[in-house]
Amino acid sequence: MYYPEPISKLIDSFTKLPGIGPKTAVRLAFHVLSMKEDDVMDFAKALVNAKRELTHCSICGHITDQDPCSICQDESRDGTLICVVQDPKDVIAMEKMREFNGKYHVLHGAISPMDGIGPEDINVPSLLNRLKDEEVEELILATNPNIEGEATAMYISKLVRPSGIRTTRIAHGLPMGGDLEYADEVTLSKAMEGRREL
Amino acid sequence: MHIQELTLTHYRNYDKLQLQFDDKVNVIIGENAQGKTNLMEAIYVLAFSKSHRTPKDKELIQWDQEYAKIEGNISKRKQRFPLEIVLSSKGKKAKLNHLEQKRLSDYIGALNVVMFAPEDLNLVKGSPQIRRRFIDMEIGQIQPVYIYHLGQYQKILKQRNHLLKLLQRRQADPTMLDVLTEQLIEHAAIILEKRFLFLGLLRKWAQPIHQGITTGLEMLDIEYLSNIDVSEESDKETLRIAYEEKFSALRTREVERGTTLAGPHRDDLSFYVNGKDVQAFGSQGQQRTTALSLKLAEIELIHKEVGDYPILLLDDVLSELDDSRQSHLLGTIQGKVQTFVSTTNVSGIQHDTLRQAELFNIQAGKLVRESGGA
Repeated sequence: MYYPEPISKLIDSFTKLPGIGPKTAVRLAFHVLSMKEDDVMDFAKALVNAKRELTHCSICGHITDQDPCSICQDESRDGTLICVVQDPKDVIAMEKMREFNGKYHVLHGAISPMDGIGPEDINVPSLLNRLKDEEVEELILATNPNIEGEATAMYISKLVRPSGIRTTRIAHGLPMGGDLEYADEVTLSKAMEGRREL
Repeated sequence: MHIQELTLTHYRNYDKLQLQFDDKVNVIIGENAQGKTNLMEAIYVLAFSKSHRTPKDKELIQWDQEYAKIEGNISKRKQRFPLEIVLSSKGKKAKLNHLEQKRLSDYIGALNVVMFAPEDLNLVKGSPQIRRRFIDMEIGQIQPVYIYHLGQYQKILKQRNHLLKLLQRRQADPTMLDVLTEQLIEHAAIILEKRFLFLGLLRKWAQPIHQGITTGLEMLDIEYLSNIDVSEESDKETLRIAYEEKFSALRTREVERGTTLAGPHRDDLSFYVNGKDVQAFGSQGQQRTTALSLKLAEIELIHKEVGDYPILLLDDVLSELDDSRQSHLLGTIQGKVQTFVSTTNVSGIQHDTLRQAELFNIQAGKLVRESGGA
């Protein structure tokens, strides 16, 4: 390439981001050159700080700037209820709902033998330790409704069952506000399976 | 149902081609390597979004071109709608009635096609894989949700085989095997139940057809060979329990071998004529007749299930069949099934059906229309 080194390095850095191809990376890099220096400094600091100041909570694995995270420290939350999710983004989604008052455990992935990811490669061991140390009554398994997410939920429930802690799986079914006719057969059949008395 | 019009763009050896078809029989005549099979394949791809000849979509794109496009105008049960498949290096797009279908199971089934090609004559004596593919394709076009279960099954199977390899070297938790086995069984039971149902229908339609071809001399029977001990009438729950027992019995051996040893992916079909196994003891002729009966049964089965006859593609097979089988085949389709026949030479085939056919002459990827009558 015929770019001076500083800009070719910047382009190279942008291509490391998800969803950014070579052409977009060039556009972004040239945009940075036209930005005000203060803005560029803020941007650079934000990048570095996000990495330096954020860690994973030593209890639940959620991203946080203080350890333990604000959710784990919150005394008003129900510690007997733990919701297990795959990703920190799932915690944010759950929190937006503003209805769940328990605590979380973030696995950072799902078990997939094909990709060489076993239970010890995600936060399963730390979950089991938590169940030993804390007074937990119910474990809500909210992993993704695909093969790996289901397998991970089933696996955890098998491990936890002997301890007598209640394990539940979030329901599958129709999205609210949608039309029945647009639902695919698989979702519809799951919704039929999970029907309940009114 | 009929294809009224077909347009190919940059497909194999066709640069640009637009054709109007007859509702009954269309004969495609040409020397070898002129593009007869490519045209048949294009209709097949329009129905199934993939080729029967190659798993690589890239091979379908004309040399030096970026994309290939197949468009067809379909009429089905008094409805008319366009179908479109675009293949490019970025992947494929399938459009039904101008709307892109993200999931192939929403697309497949819009156009029903039954193909009879020389390799189908191997249906009886070829490998079990060919027979499994046959039932999977046929159930898929009648019941698209079957494709979903099959896809999930194959994914879980892959995970499970990887896990068994790890367990073989004691590098994984055996509890995970219970989980994947449970997942595998759920889809295995559904797949097997649907295959049993299909087989019942296939047998019902194939038996009288086979008797017809053999002028009442041969009685055909089909048996499903599964690796669990169940009958075809078993419901999903019974199948599930049978698989559970099977997998718990196989557990040690599966870990030793590092692979899954039971399930629908290892099943097979057996064909019997007058009680004798056709694969082992049948003559070449009996094997061909059996394959032909199955294909003709498929046509009737789709008609019954979908409410319209499928399109029949006969790729270079008429010349492989003797006179009586030829006339039986052409008699069955007469007037009701839109049929595409490809052949190097039309003169050897004497049948009324072909005399009224529309003829297309093909040379090096270009078609010259000829008027009806050979």
